[in-house]
Amino acid sequence: MTAPEQAAVLVDPDERRGGTGTARFVLKKILEAVISVVLVVVLFFFLFRMLPGDPVAAMTRDRVTSPQQIAELREKMGVDKPVFVQFGQYFWNLLHGDLGESRLLNNGRPVADMIGERLWPTILLVGSATILAVVIGLWLGIRAAWRRDSLFDRTQTGIALTLWSVPQFWLGLMLLVVTNGLFPSRGMHSPDAAPDVLSQTLDVLHHLVLPCVTLLAVFYAQYMLIMRSSLLGEMNADYLTTARAKGLREDLVRRRHAVPNALLPTTTLVFMQFGMVVSGAVTVEAVFSWPGLGQLTYDALHGPDLPVLQGVFTVLASAVVLMNLLAELLYRVLDPRVRTS
Amino acid sequence: MGWFLVHFQRRIGRFGRVGAVVAAATMAALPLAAPAQAQQGKVLRVALTTGIDHLNPFTAVLAASTQIGRFTYEFLTVPNAEKAEASPALAESWTPSPDKLTWTFKIRGGVKWSDGQPVTAKDAAFTFNRMLTDENARTANGNYVANFETVTAPDDTTLVIKTKTVQVNMNLLDVPIVPQHIWEPVKDLKDPKTDELAIAGVADGPYQVTEYKQNEYVKLKANKEYWRGAPKVDELQLLQFKDTEAAVNALKQGEVDVINRLNPNQFAALQGQDGITTNAAPGRRYDELAFNFGVTDSSNNPIGDGNPVLKDINVRKAITQAVDTQSLVDKVLKGLGQVGGGVVPPVYSAYHWDPSDTEKVKFDLAAANTTLEQAGYKKGPDGVRTAPGGAKLELRLTGHSNRSYDQGVAQYVSGWLKDIGITVKQDLVSDDELSDRTSTGKYDLAIGGYGTNPDPDYALSLHTCAARPSADGKGGSTDTFFCDAQYDELYKKQLTETDDAKRAGYVKQAQARLYGQFPTIVLDYQNALEAYRSDKFSGFTTQPQPKGAILEQTGYWGVYGATPAGTEATSADSGSSGTVVWIVVGAIVVVIIVVGGVVISRRNKASEDRE
Amino acid sequence: MTTAETPRQIAWSRRRASIARTWQEFAGQRAALVGLILLGATVVVALLLPLISDESGLDVTKATGEPLSPPTGDFWLGTDNFGRSVLLMTVWGSRISLLVGFSAALLSVVIGTVIGITAAHFGGWVSATLLRFTDFFLVLPSLILAIALSAVLPKGVGTIIVAIGLTAWPSTARLVRAQTLTIESRPYIERSHALGGGHLHVIGKHVLPGVMPLVLANTTLVVGNAVIADATLSFLGVGDPNSVTWGLVLESALNNGAISRGAWWNVLPPGIAIVLVVLFFTLVGRGLETVLNPRLKK
Repeated sequence: MTAPEQAAVLVDPDERRGGTGTARFVLKKILEAVISVVLVVVLFFFLFRMLPGDPVAAMTRDRVTSPQQIAELREKMGVDKPVFVQFGQYFWNLLHGDLGESRLLNNGRPVADMIGERLWPTILLVGSATILAVVIGLWLGIRAAWRRDSLFDRTQTGIALTLWSVPQFWLGLMLLVVTNGLFPSRGMHSPDAAPDVLSQTLDVLHHLVLPCVTLLAVFYAQYMLIMRSSLLGEMNADYLTTARAKGLREDLVRRRHAVPNALLPTTTLVFMQFGMVVSGAVTVEAVFSWPGLGQLTYDALHGPDLPVLQGVFTVLASAVVLMNLLAELLYRVLDPRVRTS
Repeated sequence: MGWFLVHFQRRIGRFGRVGAVVAAATMAALPLAAPAQAQQGKVLRVALTTGIDHLNPFTAVLAASTQIGRFTYEFLTVPNAEKAEASPALAESWTPSPDKLTWTFKIRGGVKWSDGQPVTAKDAAFTFNRMLTDENARTANGNYVANFETVTAPDDTTLVIKTKTVQVNMNLLDVPIVPQHIWEPVKDLKDPKTDELAIAGVADGPYQVTEYKQNEYVKLKANKEYWRGAPKVDELQLLQFKDTEAAVNALKQGEVDVINRLNPNQFAALQGQDGITTNAAPGRRYDELAFNFGVTDSSNNPIGDGNPVLKDINVRKAITQAVDTQSLVDKVLKGLGQVGGGVVPPVYSAYHWDPSDTEKVKFDLAAANTTLEQAGYKKGPDGVRTAPGGAKLELRLTGHSNRSYDQGVAQYVSGWLKDIGITVKQDLVSDDELSDRTSTGKYDLAIGGYGTNPDPDYALSLHTCAARPSADGKGGSTDTFFCDAQYDELYKKQLTETDDAKRAGYVKQAQARLYGQFPTIVLDYQNALEAYRSDKFSGFTTQPQPKGAILEQTGYWGVYGATPAGTEATSADSGSSGTVVWIVVGAIVVVIIVVGGVVISRRNKASEDRE
Repeated sequence: MTTAETPRQIAWSRRRASIARTWQEFAGQRAALVGLILLGATVVVALLLPLISDESGLDVTKATGEPLSPPTGDFWLGTDNFGRSVLLMTVWGSRISLLVGFSAALLSVVIGTVIGITAAHFGGWVSATLLRFTDFFLVLPSLILAIALSAVLPKGVGTIIVAIGLTAWPSTARLVRAQTLTIESRPYIERSHALGGGHLHVIGKHVLPGVMPLVLANTTLVVGNAVIADATLSFLGVGDPNSVTWGLVLESALNNGAISRGAWWNVLPPGIAIVLVVLFFTLVGRGLETVLNPRLKK
């Protein structure tokens, strides 16, 4: 939850430009990411254990269960053991891809399976929205910075800030009402689409339009404003004056020197802000019945189906951590200043 | 640094061009997509607003999944459409032995599974025996076989079930019969493979599952060989919606044909719309506001943490006087329901009881205030009453947080109780937590309710001493924790009475006793609200008749009876709207490509001519 | 006292001058100024509401209108499902929504400031640990954490505030840490240390006043986010049912079929109220940051 431009301050260039060797750097970052993922697991484990009540009692409520079954469940979940032993068990299972079993949504089904089948829709939605938001955001940001304080700059900044202030689920519902049946209101597939690959792809794209637009409408603002402000920062830098003095045309100066330098921190931020897009997906998927992890979260909240929530949150948070690791490594690869040092 | 940028831009440029080519190819293909969309037979689309857990009928417990099982599998007997009474299905006839412990079912010949194998008594015997021997097979319908001794099939048309004690529901065993040759090799019923078509797709009901896209839709085709005759629609689609507003929108747009579980405003919005018919079926459920009157477990020990002031019948009476059930029906249900009385809903008119004018506790805030005043609860300067001991009258009110009915009732009850000097703290919670709280007595006031059966026994049994749970809140089937000797006496009398009129008398007396002791207020009986595209389909058979529900029946009558209306009109309509959509999408794509292409080419030129 | 007074006076007059300069720079940005004025007006209205309007109109049993009636002379923005005035509910909704926004922002900013200053000031392993800790929470999707917290804790305004406040602090911590480092690298801090000033002295007298402006700007931005987060949690069904907030008004409209009925007057006002208030906060916050954040300054 950061304000649009503020995120720029969160990247500390000095820290990312240590003089250490690349191998050591990569290793260090990977190690940090691993620690973070473990912390994520710990965090959600204890968060969901805070809930009062006996998980076994909750699981067996309203169904015929023999005392033997209950005993087996207790054994399996290890509820009678100290909490750190339970955690050890959970973590061990986790390492083997076992996230526990759903209780309410899909009784007895492995949470890992449920997440697995929901993963791709979410990746498609979040991925396409991110790519479009980045492209649109960066393009508008560059334009706005080039023509600083022009009508274009002011209108675009105004629109971006306004969209940035909109609750996502509300925007989704409004789009649903306004488009009035132009796009499908639910899901990712229409059962009537022909089975060939082309029709299926078009069908999915057709379903993707509204949720994707809802997501990107709110997020592109951030990329635009960051790009705009970092480009404005670059444009006053000394080397640009030098470049101008060398007689390079103004637009080339900007395009060749200012833009790529401003592009770097922005690209990394794209990854850093990935968590926000994922959060946004939760509400957007609920509005458009998009069969992804967000919808699973929404369903699981109404139980609440705690094993499912715990599993989904652990996976989402870990994904964000890994994206962030990718960002750090990418920064290292892309930034010429780091590479030459 | 310059080389880096140029390199970077070239790469983008190349990708940009590739992208443009791909997009252009997409564009060219767009017109082809429209006819592909339009080709459809007589398809009935049902909106599902609740989830599906399994297709495997042994493990499917959620309402939507159970419904799919009803569409795809035949049962020994099914409740008929007219009165929801047992009627022949796979079993042509059934006869109990004189001691009612042995039941013999005559199985219909000539019925086939969808893979061509005949359906025999052996399949039925297999289904029940599997449930008797396999824990997982009892997940969904285990309660029906809990009392079974043996199940045998002496020949292909005879099924014999022996029970340990007399079981009253033997003529209505709500268990889908599965094909033995498919399910016998399946060792683990929790295996996800049991939800796949190779297993769950082989059935003998009016429809047959042809495609299951988890969390999205289920596609079923008509079973042309169905023994009652093929359904009149070719295909049945069950489309999942997470948001009921989106589902209503889809009905308006003609994306779906039938929808249920509407709220009153959605129902009103669909009323009178062109091509849409609404159906308000009398509810089989009562809604209530239950009091924690100092509830006890099955061994009469107090459990839970209820506010002790509710032990005073005067407080409960005052609250009853302060709750305007008519207003709740008018404002929360928008008139789509009946004002509450006894626990047997008016749809079962023979057993339904309404308080007479003299018995009725009328809505009267002044009288409620007087009741409390006389019982010694004095109003403080802040308008809140205090009990004689000095404790303030503050009550927690719990209910389902995700139900708009509960939200509405909670607001009205809080408003009224404030007027009689009782502070209410609304504490609506998740379904799971609510059942936790109500089963362990951890509430003061709880909004709840139960679905009932044609036979009044179940509705009455929810309020007997025996239904109370053990000390840990488990093993009970009670609704209100009510335990009253007089009520239990009446309950027993109706259970053994063979004369229908006399039995009805006891049933009504029991309801009157319950009403007078104020363990709960029966607020209303909600209608089940449904709507369908009458311009496309007619002939939905309701259960019961004449006024009943189309979906979520105990049977398949609703969708089995559906008859397509004007066939040509349907496909032409959706085809044209599909075309419009694709033209719009196409236009957007064109704009993006053109703009993108121009930008990219301009940039490339600029950078290249400096090289 | 007399010896200490002169430098203190100097410090104060400097501070006053700097505040005046900041204000001028801030007021020079039209958007920020407009945002501030409108935001001020909203807050004043929300505070004075009990004096100028009657809360009983929020009680469903006292509602006088027809359900879901479109805007009329009596009800300028129509009525909701229970016949209550949507205008009244939207206006009253501002109180709890803003309360949640401010409290959550305050909580998060306090946590962020403490961690940020500690991480920068003490150095060594404390700093390293806190920094890792902050980075860890920084990348976690805060809304997801907030959902998890509100699903686990009992329902209520307090839970919402805690859920948002406990998850929104890392960016503040980062910001404050950076600023603290900048301040502490200045020579007068070293002088202060040399003169025997303890940690508390340095932090209280030099660091805090130095980071405060930035923290203020940050708070403004966090409030806006908290208002949206509050509405989102309500939409997901983990909000507080007892208090009238914009999120709740929206949620109840959606739950009761307002969209199907075409009752736009139920869905637009609370939504627009959220957008406007968040926009005001963002404008003010951006304005403040432009003036106060050295890194954003040209």
